[in-house]
Order: sequence, then C-alpha cells, then structure tokens
Amino acid sequence: MSAASAATRIDDALAQSWYEASARQRVDALLDRGSFVEFIGPERRETSPHLPLFDLPEQFDDGMIVGRGRLDGASILIAAQEGRFMGGAFGEVHGAKLTGLLRAARELRTPVVIAFDTGGVRLQEANAGEMAIAEIMRALLEARLAAVNVIGLVGGRAGCYGGGGLIAACCSALAVSEQGRISVSGPEVIETNRGVEEFDSKDRALVWRTMGGKHRRLIGGAEIFVDDTVASFRAAAIALLARAPALTRAMLVAEQARLETRLDAFGDCADALDIWRRLGIADAASVPAMSYGEFDALGARITEVIHDAR
Amino acid sequence: MSDWDKGRRARAARIAAGARFAQGKRVDARDATALLEAVIQPGDRVCLEGDNQKQADLLAAALIAADPAVLHDLHMVQSGVVLPEHLDVFERGIARRLDYAYSGPQSQRIAKLLFGGRIELGAVHTYLELFARYFIDLTPQVALIAAVSADRNGNLYTGPNTEDTPTVVEATAFKDGVVIAQVGEIVDELPRVDIPGDQVHFVIDAGRPFFVEPLFTRDPGAITETQILTAMLALKGIYAPYGVRRLNHGIGFNTAAIELLLPTYGERLGLKGKVASHWALNPHPTLIPAIESGWVEQIHCFGSEVGMDAYIRARSDIYFTGADGSLRSNRAFCQTAGLYACDMFIGSTLQIDLAGHSSTVTTGRIAGFGGAPNMGSDARGRRHPSEPWIKAGAEADPGEKAALRRGRKLVVQIGETFGEKNTPMFVEKLDALELAEKLKLDLAPIMVYGDDVTHIVTEEGIANLLLCRDADEREQAIRGVAGYTDVGRARDKAFVQRLRERGVIRRPEDLGIDPLDADRRLLAARSVKDLVHWSGGLYAPPSKFRNW
Repeated sequence: MSAASAATRIDDALAQSWYEASARQRVDALLDRGSFVEFIGPERRETSPHLPLFDLPEQFDDGMIVGRGRLDGASILIAAQEGRFMGGAFGEVHGAKLTGLLRAARELRTPVVIAFDTGGVRLQEANAGEMAIAEIMRALLEARLAAVNVIGLVGGRAGCYGGGGLIAACCSALAVSEQGRISVSGPEVIETNRGVEEFDSKDRALVWRTMGGKHRRLIGGAEIFVDDTVASFRAAAIALLARAPALTRAMLVAEQARLETRLDAFGDCADALDIWRRLGIADAASVPAMSYGEFDALGARITEVIHDAR
Repeated sequence: MSDWDKGRRARAARIAAGARFAQGKRVDARDATALLEAVIQPGDRVCLEGDNQKQADLLAAALIAADPAVLHDLHMVQSGVVLPEHLDVFERGIARRLDYAYSGPQSQRIAKLLFGGRIELGAVHTYLELFARYFIDLTPQVALIAAVSADRNGNLYTGPNTEDTPTVVEATAFKDGVVIAQVGEIVDELPRVDIPGDQVHFVIDAGRPFFVEPLFTRDPGAITETQILTAMLALKGIYAPYGVRRLNHGIGFNTAAIELLLPTYGERLGLKGKVASHWALNPHPTLIPAIESGWVEQIHCFGSEVGMDAYIRARSDIYFTGADGSLRSNRAFCQTAGLYACDMFIGSTLQIDLAGHSSTVTTGRIAGFGGAPNMGSDARGRRHPSEPWIKAGAEADPGEKAALRRGRKLVVQIGETFGEKNTPMFVEKLDALELAEKLKLDLAPIMVYGDDVTHIVTEEGIANLLLCRDADEREQAIRGVAGYTDVGRARDKAFVQRLRERGVIRRPEDLGIDPLDADRRLLAARSVKDLVHWSGGLYAPPSKFRNW
C-alpha cells in the first residue's frame, strides 16, 4: 500500500466516522440536510438537578438530543446520546427527554431512530436513572404496540451498556458497527463481580469479540452490520425502517424460541471463537481483523435466515 | 609481594560456588534461588535488570525467595524499579540500599518505603548518570540480566529489547563481576549475538519470554482537540521556524498528536523534509503514518515496543537492525544520542513552577527521572553547530560574538493548562520541593531545570523563555500561557501584553492558527486500527489497545 493511497483512504473513510462524530454531528448527518428541529434544545437549559450536588459539570442538553426531522423524505423522530458527556449515561432529564419522545411517537404514529452511546445509568442519579430506563422501555413498547417502528443505531465510543442495552433489546431492529458494543453488564462490572478469570476487562480483543458489533451480528443480535461511516448508518436506518417487524404475540413467541435455540446451540461455548466455529467459520480467529467488506460478505453467508426475532 | 588480583580470585570463588548448581553454564530454573544464594554475598552491589521495558522477572522472583539470613544488606543498582519484586527485596530484608533512575509503576510504593525507612536511598539518577556510575563507583558485583535466547556457550540474543544489557554486562563482566542471565529458550544457533558468551557465567532457561510492557503506545482515539491545538502550535511555532530535524519526543499525548499531525498539518505547512527527519526515539506506533509518508530518515531506539517488531523488520532503512533483521536498541547509546546529537526535546510534564522548573513528582509518588533529563538538558559539552542550535543560542544571548556564542538545545515543555483530572500544570511551588523537605533530600527531584527550558507550549500559546531577559519576564511569560489556572490568573496583564508584542508570548492567532481548526480529523490516524492499516498490517498491537 503506498503512503499516498493509504492517506487518502484513511482520510476519506474517517472524515465521516460515526464513532468519532458528536451526537449533534450524527443527527445532522443522519437526517436530510437542514431538516432537524430540536425539542427542548440547549437554549432551554434543562440541566440535571443532581450533578451540581456532586460538584460535577452539567450540560445544557444533559447529553440527550431529541427532535424531529426527515429521513429520505419521511418524517421521523430522532434521539441521540452524547457519549462524551458522562459516558452518555441516563439521568433524570436525559431519560425524560427520550420517554417524552417515545410517547409522542405513539401519539403521532411517527417512527423513531435512537442513536445509542451510553454506559448505562448515571451513578450520581441512580434512582432517577433506573426509573427513566423503566419508563423508556414502557414508552418504547407502547409505541411499538401502536405499530410505530423504533430503530436503534450502535457505534459510539461508550457502546450501548446497562439500561441502554435493555432499551436496545426492546427496539424493532438494530444496526451496529464494529466499534459498537451491546451488552448489559460492562466488562469491568463482570470482572469486579466474577473475577478476572471469568472476564478480563483489559483484554480488549476479548471484550470486542464478546460484545462487539461483529459478534452481535453473527449471532443475530443485530439486524445490520454497518461500516463506521455516517453514510452507512443512514442507509441502515432507512433500510430498517422499511422492514422492521411489528410487536405481536407471535413475534414474542418466535423471539423466545430463537433465544432457546441459541442457548441450546452455543450454551456450552466458553468463547465467541467457539461460537463462530460452530457457526461454520473455519478460520474464526481471522474474524476480528476482517475489513467491513470481508466481514459483510461472511455475515451474509453465515447468519441464519434473517429472523424478525432477535 | 602485593596482591593485584583479589577481584579475579573472588569471582572465581563465586563461580565455583555457583557451579554446584550448573551443568556447564546452564542452571535449572528450580535452582535459581540456590544459585543466587551461592554466588551473591551479603553487602554486594547487585544489578537486577529492570529496564524501562524489559524485566528479568524470573531472577527477581528467585531473589526474593532467598533466605534473608543468607542474603542481606544488598545494594541494588538498577535503572528501573518496575516490578513489585524490585521492592519486595527491601521489605524482605534482602536489600537495604537503592540507587535507581526510574520507578513508574512502583512510584507510590517506593515513596512509602522511603518514608518508612525501609530503603536507604543513594540517589535518583538519570539513565546516563546511573550508567556512568556503573563504571566509577557503583560497579555491580553481580548482574542478573534478561535475554531472549542463549546458545550452549552462553552467547546471548537480547532481541529488539537490548536496552541496558550491554552496559550492565560491560561494567560487571570486565570488573570481576558475575553475570547471570535468564533466557526464554536455549537454542543451537542464535539469530545474532548481542552479548558474547565469555561475559556470561550462568544461564537459566525460564522457558518463557521475559516480562515487557508496552509503555510507548498511545491510542490515537484518546487524543483530545486541546492536545491537537498544542501540537499545531508546536509545529508552526517551533518546528517550522527553527527547522528542527534531529529530535526526541516524550511519551505523552501531546507529542503523539504532533507525530500524527506530521502527514496532515505538517504537510500543509510544507515542512516535509525540513523537520523531524532524524530521531532518538522508541518505536512509537503513532509515528507510523509519518514514516509511511516519507517524513522520517532514521530512528535510533532506547528499547523496542510491543507489537512493533515485524514493522521494524520491514523498515530497516529507518531503524537500526541486526544481521538477523530485528531491531537493535541500546539505551546508553540512544540517551547519549539524545543528549548530544538532538537539537530538540519536547515532552509533557505534570508540574511547572514560575521559574520554569518542571517535575513529575507529585505528593506520594516518586516516579524517578528515566531519560527525560538527559534529553531535556542543554549539553554543555556540545561543539558541533546546527541551525536550530545556533538560532536558539542567538535568541538567548544576542550580545555575544557569534563565534564565541554557545548554541542552545531546544527544550520544550508541552501540555494543557489543566491536565488529567483538571489538575493545573502550573504551580507556585512544586510538590517535589515538599517531598525533598519531608525526606530531607539534598536535591529536590526536578525533571527539567528551568534554565534548560526554552519554550512552554499550552493551548494558550507559546512562551519563548530564550527571549526573557530577567526572572520577572520569565515569570510573566510563564503566567501568560498558564490560562485560567491560579498561576495564570495572577498574571500582570500589561506586562504580558508587552511580552506578546515582543514575540515572547505567541497566541494561536499570532501564529495564524484558529483554535476551531484543531479537529480530530487532522490526525493521520484516529484509532489503533488506523495505525495497523498504515503499517500494512505489520503492526500487531497488544490486546489492551484494541477495539475490534
């Protein structure tokens, strides 16, 4: 690879990196140009009532941006978490904005896109944050029962952990990039509670092959694997909104069945590598280093039939 | 008749005592402690190879397992106090006195042991200083060293992390000392010989590689926009005007940002080929994009870096390599190169006071110096001219006749006004001074003395201390780039304005830099994976730096 071509390639790809972008950059780039209208924007200064008690800095949007706009011409509601403020964690105001958005979605029958970037509940406002997670899940499921699609996008610095992982699991469909991680307990939490033998949080290759986007895609935890570009996330959101499944009793039964099948198939695997081998990937160790294109081709070959149920 | 070979006979006796556990030179790992108890004597000066990167970990564990009734009062003379075992020898009563250079990971515990009187401290040195003393008054009686492999004659291959080994062995083996090596394996034929077998007395097959830590890998993903701004200021305000071609970088994020800006921002400034071509530097992964873009002509290394071996092998035009193709590093030579043959040192620090003294010692932590003071000091013995050296000398002393004027090395401290955890970088009084008072040290542990510092770069601008004519100007120049820290807010506004008019202080706008342009998109690589791409897949980062 010549230096010049490497420079151009890296520059082009990263110039619009989703992982690198701020929440506001993601919203702006995701929606049709100039169509975003923010609700309860930073000018309203709805800041956390809890953080000042800990002498911690507030942010005027509390790390959650909500509003409406158009995606490929269609009206949608959108929420984006700022992973660089408090690790995108859910606090009282942060959570209330998303709850309100999802309730509005049910009333307006307008689909929702959520750009997750969160470590979970904000410890400084734990009770309010935990309640916010419960309220968001309820509002999300109520919206889906009203035939409103809710799409989750995961590819930010903070990943999608804790309550964020629970909310993501309630979504109609998910798109994830390699950098994205989806889980409930984070690596450090697992290590602290179960010991380093159970999970070494410093072994980042292990973290990524257990919780990262490629693994989630391979076992069917996410519907689309996307490249780390804003354009790729936008295309995925458009595609998923068009085909997301409704939340019905039959759907829940299918989901339960699929989880049982997955547990039967992989329950004894100690490492994601074992799962990948069992999925028929001979050279499982090569998966993490694969480029987007190589992995996408592999994913299309390996994944079981696209299943409405995750 | 007087006796002129007591040392030689004493060594023969030590080797004979150790030979009970050896077959030829080879000693089983299980007998390591017994060997040490036989060869080392109470009160000996012992170098337990703890370098910046590689560690003789098996020998360290063997030493702490020794019986303190047999081995006691040892005087440890080693550059790095890195492993817990390096301090366990003091807690166990095996060693008493310590002369060292660097103690990064053990900095807190070493402070405790010093306060508690468990360690009798000789001095905290710079690397070159300690190496120098190996040949004058701190010559080891026994050296416990680490290598990648040995052959049956005791020849050693140290691999890319040669580091301190040749220096330690030279001082020990040629002054009647005993050299004991731990190796990862014993082979029929070595890739190359780094240490000749006649300087090695015992070899222990550890059956695994020695411990080595990736100390010089900075994740581009963690570089902030403020750090990028400081890097832009440094490139445009120092590298460009002085034309700095020969240099050393510290290991902080600010200098990593500079490395990653060379192929982007540096290219735009037209600096390629004019700056940053010859280096005394460890194999920093963040320099890969600049190397691949043709900025770098050559690099000499103190040690290696985990994951860089294959890349280095494939870039022998850039690095110093052996006949086998792998890197040959050498800390003593590289430190000397940094001291005498580099025109600039630029690095981060934790604290700077009003005189420009800087220190990485904070309350309760004694990290030692390592090599920064060798890099970050004006070499008074230097005699060869170069453009940056002459120009800096002229700025410092415009009145002197040019032919009689000393040049000056550029010694640049770079950082954000508020560092990690919002701790101010600028202070009225260094923690190092309080530590010296508490421990009753003759010298406060100062990393870089104020009279060696030529520039301070923060996001507020560049203070050129060469242009300061007295202590007041110096103080106000420092306050002038100290931003919103207490030190910065106590500046004399009018005084600082006058300094700015004279170019002693230069703000981003004075250099034509818009702080809003300091964007992560300027970095040639924004993740460790980007570095892997740049290297054509040759760089193999350790797992803790991956996010894939």
